Amino acid sequence: MEKLDLTLNINHKPFDVRISPNDTLLEVLRDHLDLTGSKESCGEGVCGSCTVQLDGKPVRSCLTLALEAEGAIIRTVEGLADGDTLSPLQESFVNHGAVQCGFCTPGMLMTADALLKENPDPDEDTIRKALSGNICRCTGYAKIVEAVAHTAHPQDQCPDCASGIKSCCKAKE
Amino acid sequence: MTQYNIIGTRMPRVDSRAKVMGKAKFTADLKLPHMLVGKIKRSPYAHARIISIDASKALALPGVRSVVTGKDTEGVKWGVFAYTRDQQFLQTDKARYIGDEVAAVAAVDEDTAQKALDLIDVTYEELPAVYDPMAAMASETELIHAEYPNNINIHVNIDTGNVDENFAKAHYIREDTFTAPEESYFQAEPYAVVARFDSDDCLEVWCPNGGPHMKSKPLSNSFKIPLHKVKIRRIAIGGAFGGRSEICPADYICALLAKKTGCPVKIEFTREENTIGTRQGHSMITTHKTGVDKEGRVLARETTCYMDGGAYSSTGPIATSVPFLSMEQAYRMGSVRYNGFRVYTNKPIRGMIRTHGRGFACGLDTQLDMIAEHLGIDPVEMRLRNSRQPGEYTSTRSLVGSCAMDETIRKAAEKAGWTEKWGKLPPFHGIGIGTNSVQTGFPMGIRGGSQSFIKFNEDGEATVMSGVVDNGQGNENMLVQIAAEELGLLPEDIHLVNADTETTSSDPGSYSQVSTFVGGQAVKNAAANCKAKLFDVASKILKVPADTLAAKNRMIFVQDDPEKCVPLKKVVRVALTNFISVNAEGGYWPKVDMKREWVSNPYGQMCEAFSFGTTIIEVKVDPETGQVTVLNCVACQDVGKALNPLVLEGQFEGSVAMGGQGGMLTEYHEWRDGRCLNPTMLDYKLPLACDMPPIHNIIVESIEPKGPYGAKEAAMSIAMSAAQAYAAAVSNAIGVYMDSFPVTPDKILAAIKKKK
Repeated sequence: MEKLDLTLNINHKPFDVRISPNDTLLEVLRDHLDLTGSKESCGEGVCGSCTVQLDGKPVRSCLTLALEAEGAIIRTVEGLADGDTLSPLQESFVNHGAVQCGFCTPGMLMTADALLKENPDPDEDTIRKALSGNICRCTGYAKIVEAVAHTAHPQDQCPDCASGIKSCCKAKE
Repeated sequence: MTQYNIIGTRMPRVDSRAKVMGKAKFTADLKLPHMLVGKIKRSPYAHARIISIDASKALALPGVRSVVTGKDTEGVKWGVFAYTRDQQFLQTDKARYIGDEVAAVAAVDEDTAQKALDLIDVTYEELPAVYDPMAAMASETELIHAEYPNNINIHVNIDTGNVDENFAKAHYIREDTFTAPEESYFQAEPYAVVARFDSDDCLEVWCPNGGPHMKSKPLSNSFKIPLHKVKIRRIAIGGAFGGRSEICPADYICALLAKKTGCPVKIEFTREENTIGTRQGHSMITTHKTGVDKEGRVLARETTCYMDGGAYSSTGPIATSVPFLSMEQAYRMGSVRYNGFRVYTNKPIRGMIRTHGRGFACGLDTQLDMIAEHLGIDPVEMRLRNSRQPGEYTSTRSLVGSCAMDETIRKAAEKAGWTEKWGKLPPFHGIGIGTNSVQTGFPMGIRGGSQSFIKFNEDGEATVMSGVVDNGQGNENMLVQIAAEELGLLPEDIHLVNADTETTSSDPGSYSQVSTFVGGQAVKNAAANCKAKLFDVASKILKVPADTLAAKNRMIFVQDDPEKCVPLKKVVRVALTNFISVNAEGGYWPKVDMKREWVSNPYGQMCEAFSFGTTIIEVKVDPETGQVTVLNCVACQDVGKALNPLVLEGQFEGSVAMGGQGGMLTEYHEWRDGRCLNPTMLDYKLPLACDMPPIHNIIVESIEPKGPYGAKEAAMSIAMSAAQAYAAAVSNAIGVYMDSFPVTPDKILAAIKKKK
């Protein structure tokens, strides 16, 4: 198949890639650019593990052709933190125990981040509905929902909000 | 009560930072120079003799580096036990299920590998196949394995004696049969393996695993190379739930392709392969016959269970026993006779899964509710009258130490408002209770213990080596917490090297809920030995006896005079300067009855501790659609000691999702002629965020004297009891005792219709 050259804008950096027209965005991210934070779990758009943002909207990168992403601002899990400083959402996931095996985490974060950008004050029902395209097999979702809810509104009575970044999570000097 | 610095805190997990940044590497994320893509050719027939395999066309395809078949192997058969070695990793004589491995290819890229698979020409002679255990036992066609008459793979018989005598004394007896089909793990991470042979001819492997040492031994056997030449590496693992406890044929096949090509090879399973080609949960047909006295106390029980084991033995003897064991631990049974039959069929292989025998457990609990109703006893009271008590022996003669079963029942009932709700809810609104118990380990022979080694670096930080693997449940964090607590360091001072067979000692792996109890305890003992050495040095510096010292927050100090102290780092440096080692090892071997064996002698001390859990569920059923809405969940477990409540709560909540919400409402496989019709996430219904009820966690601490800091295990008895509670709540809501699980809308509607 004829190869195509294109430039993708990923996490505010341009990447030149040579791809096949049928390469998915997920394949290009993982195989061409070694951005392996986005995961393939079901490969058919059901589980949400491969979720990235295109112009701020969460999309399944396993169902999106790389070609379709040309010209869009692509954001992946690798673009959430500012250097070593976690985003408030990432920090909240860590502090609330929302991460177990961690395989669904990148997709979950990208969906939740898009939700919070669109609606900074979602109620629990809204969060659960927004996350219902992301399957987690480990957590039963309770801590994930809590982490998202408490990102915008840290709760005084929540034992996991109070202390901010806890000692173990600070980047080592 | 002992005060701890790090144990018992809600410390966020040490591995979560890398995971939220997308930096944690899972097997499929690995790239090695010159790495090839491996793919497996699987049988399209459920039962067929392999007549010939012609790989010439595949080998001629540009980009194909190697094709392997059973003829390229040493012919070694795998089995968890010496008496269950029935599975070749590449079949030579016949295929026994749709998906059995018959050949494999390594090529430069995925497209080429896929094309090559289609070019491998396998000639089969189709054989009659059997798809359910009852038909398989009665079948007169060719046996699935010639050496197993009636296709019976495993028969576990447990008999305490006096069963018939006690049935004769019973006030009320009933016998009921319960069924449940297969379920799957659906780990988020599809199975993947990377293998290479290094310059010293050592095999290096990365793959999801429930215990690296359980991978290295079969690979050493299969390649006929010494164990030290098999290096299973630590890698992030995207869930296991019992499904990654054993060697996977793909591990061997990947290594064989790497050997043949001289290049690293990666095999990534598709979602379908992960469902079909790894393991599944057994389907079961269980008959419980129970006799009780007037007060509802069980005097005698006879249980017969037929389990569809699929094509090979896998963990057969264990899987045939654990459903029974969980229940004999949870409840006193009087006299009991158990016959468990695991039967070969031409279906995918069944192994260990988080909810051991959902049909078995839900059936037993449902029958208790039936008996309770007959006798006019409240289900909570019924359970309290039959619940396990501390200091008792189980039917198979294991002494139960710490046991707060009654406390979990009472606390869960109180939180759920049982007294106010039972019998008083409106129509199609129900509440149900389930209780269960799981073992913390079982006799595992040579691999039953764990050993740890700790070395100090000159900056006062410690490197902890342990064979314990983390499948996602937080085992790595558990080890770090224990090491930091014991050494008087902070979690960030601990560098963990784990789950690597080259550098870490033997360990049982993360199954049978043993990681904290055995692996954690090994680290605790190693750290205690380090601390003793540190205190010897510190006592000379501080000029006080060593036994007056304590360690905390990187300081060693005099317990009664904390101002008198020395930084731990300084003690390490003084030791190094004086040529004194402060490094140490430590191990833990559980005191179990090593003569206990699953089939030949299923009696004796099983493990050192048991956990006990109770779940209560409240539901509303729509009588028009059969849809179940779960209104509330209370999950309560005696965990011994909560080392980290944050992690523990997550385990409880995940257990409710898998055991209850998925396991009892939506998850099951459908089949046609041995072919699984729903192997993907699109058509196998996993619980979503919008499905889950509010979950109230209650942690009960019985402080197990033999466990590290009193800990036992986390949440397995929630996964099991949740399944039972979901079933009971639906039965209560519709006024019909369900005997077929999971309780799907079609079954609920049929039950409502039949009742009318």
